[in-house]
Amino acid sequence: MKIDLHVHTKKCKQGDADSREISAIKFNDIVQATQVKIIAITNHNVFDIEQYNEIIETVAGNIQVWPGIELDVMEDGKRGHLLVIASPNYVDEFSEKVHSITHGTTPDSFEISLDETIEVFDELGPLYIAHYKQKKPDISEVALEKLINNTKYPNRVIKEVSNSISAGIYISHGHPSIYGSDVQDWGKYEEESVDLPDLRLPVESFEQFCLLLEKDSTTINTALDKKTSDNLVLYPFYASSKVNIKTYNDINIFFGSKGTGKSCLLKSIEKHFSDRGIPASIFASGDVKLEEVYDIKGTNLTVNLNAHDIEYCLDEIEFIKNAEEVGVTSIDNYISYYKKEVSNKSSKNILLKDFEHEDEVKLERAFVDYDESHKQVESFLDFLTSSKPVSEVMKEEEQKDIFSKLSNLQERLIKNRLNKFIGWKETRLLNSAVEIFKYEISRKTGTPSKPATTGFKKYALNRIEMEVKVKKVLDSIKKQINEQVEEVGNIGVDKGVLVCKTILKIQDGSITDGALVTYDRMNKNPKKEFSNSIERIINRIYSDELFEEITKLNSIEGIEDIKTISELLLFRKYFALDDIEYSPSSGEASMLMLQKELQEDKDIYILDEPEKSLGNDYINDVIVPLVKEKARLGKKIFISTHDANIAVRTLPYCSIYRSHGAEGYNTYYGNPFSNNLVNICDEDDKLEWKTISMKTLEGGEQAFGERGKIYGNI
Amino acid sequence: METFKATVINNESKYYIEIKDIDSLIATIPISEDEPNKVKLAFNSLILRLKEGDFVIEMTDVGNDLYSQVSNEYINQLNREIGEVFSEMEHYNLLN
Repeated sequence: MKIDLHVHTKKCKQGDADSREISAIKFNDIVQATQVKIIAITNHNVFDIEQYNEIIETVAGNIQVWPGIELDVMEDGKRGHLLVIASPNYVDEFSEKVHSITHGTTPDSFEISLDETIEVFDELGPLYIAHYKQKKPDISEVALEKLINNTKYPNRVIKEVSNSISAGIYISHGHPSIYGSDVQDWGKYEEESVDLPDLRLPVESFEQFCLLLEKDSTTINTALDKKTSDNLVLYPFYASSKVNIKTYNDINIFFGSKGTGKSCLLKSIEKHFSDRGIPASIFASGDVKLEEVYDIKGTNLTVNLNAHDIEYCLDEIEFIKNAEEVGVTSIDNYISYYKKEVSNKSSKNILLKDFEHEDEVKLERAFVDYDESHKQVESFLDFLTSSKPVSEVMKEEEQKDIFSKLSNLQERLIKNRLNKFIGWKETRLLNSAVEIFKYEISRKTGTPSKPATTGFKKYALNRIEMEVKVKKVLDSIKKQINEQVEEVGNIGVDKGVLVCKTILKIQDGSITDGALVTYDRMNKNPKKEFSNSIERIINRIYSDELFEEITKLNSIEGIEDIKTISELLLFRKYFALDDIEYSPSSGEASMLMLQKELQEDKDIYILDEPEKSLGNDYINDVIVPLVKEKARLGKKIFISTHDANIAVRTLPYCSIYRSHGAEGYNTYYGNPFSNNLVNICDEDDKLEWKTISMKTLEGGEQAFGERGKIYGNI
Repeated sequence: METFKATVINNESKYYIEIKDIDSLIATIPISEDEPNKVKLAFNSLILRLKEGDFVIEMTDVGNDLYSQVSNEYINQLNREIGEVFSEMEHYNLLN
């Protein structure tokens, strides 16, 4: 939620740019596209109530629009600009007051004294926002002091500076400061709004904003209570060391010097949630290495070839390795048969011996086809019977009709399947009978039987089966696997996004890249030789050299380890930036590990000193926004830190400060909004949150100074 | 379906079946001596030829001598087996 307390909707003075003019509809469109939820209209010496009301109607409650004016204030002969912003509840009164002082003047000629400004507007309890220092024309220190002393609302006097860094610096030095867009061109507003201040607490009204400025504890607690919270009872140090703390589904920071037990507190939080079955684990920077997380060595790499449309070919490879030549019928058998005449009279009468063999394969296949079709229909019928959705949407009549048709089809399939089975078995019986009769006649007469086959079919089928299987293996070998790219994280604006690439290749006999290693950690050479040998085999399927090649295949050293295509897999995993291999430094690895932790979708994040090895820029630009994003999503975030960038810039809902002194260990609880830290064992023992943060945290002063993007302590 | 002619050839007292597509020799099968490797070579040629399409082999000039009878029977059986092998090749999509 962002706030912009200085916008113009009209060109009022001659020097104002035309691009400050905006219609209510355009205003609504532009502001709705940003994260700005509170906006004050502060035109130069003008308040146009008609335009204000039109805008209020158009934004329809989606944005808070506060009425205001940017006055030319003359004090001690010096002109300065002062924004006066009132509650929307007093818009009519505010409009009348503006009219009363500007009546008869033009925006260019109008000027007002500080005394008169206070006299006219103070009764509305407005915010006074004075141009300060570099924000020209500025109100002098003397005039500001006069304003603070004379108004009834000194806490509502804020200094407007020219940018977020200045605002942070002034805030850290105790000056309530803010900056607004002072919009010059609405066409650029969406882009420029990114730098406007954030509000950490939900501000629902002008009045609430003013109370938060005054650090009103009830208002702060009411705002904090809008967030879901838990009262945790922890035992971080020993059984009797009970610590009660209220934590929020937001950012909860634990800080304090080293050795004050922050990590113990985090462990007790982890245990608290884990004991209740809620997944929670501590992330500690440096505990796990990036290379291990991404398994760069591929120790746990698993590849499912089927997922890449590649067959493992276990049976095929085994078949090829064990392939044997099939003999052909000796021509001598024919010659012997025709040379000797069968003399036995009875045997001449047995005509069965002269029958030719019938083709069994075709008949068997016909039976298998019917059998499979029958099974498919049966399985579909089972599905229809058992499927709840089908029975819900299908009418009874439809059901009967479908079942009747499918049952009829099934009957015909069963009948034909039986016929095919009988035909197949009849032929097998006949072929067996022919063989037996031939054998018996030959045995009894001493005459060789007539060969039933030349051996061509058996020989050819053996080679055909070999061709089918070798082709399948080769198809798998030649398949390409797409490179897998996993985003690891951003390692800075100048370097960009680091990715983890996994290259998988099947050794097809041509791969020589030494960076690719074997998936099964075995020697590379046999894999290469295997693929080359398969390539030679396919070219010799119908050649007399086929079985020589198979012998060569089987003589490859380590061939027994190649059982599937999986054994031919080579891989390479590496980190890359812009397609070039990159080894992240230990600092970058820490960054990425933390990013990974925060990118995981969890309900609870427990981070132990996440800043370790990380640069300030990275914490500010990447980690703090990620943590804040999680907070916006209502996640519980517990961070133990020494780093002010995290503790201050995130403005945590809950801050736990651990200290150690002569009196022993103490735990303080508080938040930056109230600027208090209270000893949980002694309510009278209070510390100032800001002072302690600046003293305890590394980079505290600087963090406070640069925090301007988050408005003050709201 | 194509028809190739087969003839029994006597060359220096050795008998062969020569299978030809017009004048182009497809295969030679020795029938007077047991030479399985030469038979396999002939079978390989026949399988490769089958990839182009189904065919039958027709014996020409069949006499009553022993080798003519052997050749006739051999080619009869071979024709039946060629038909069956062609079906298998078709089934496995191995035809050119």
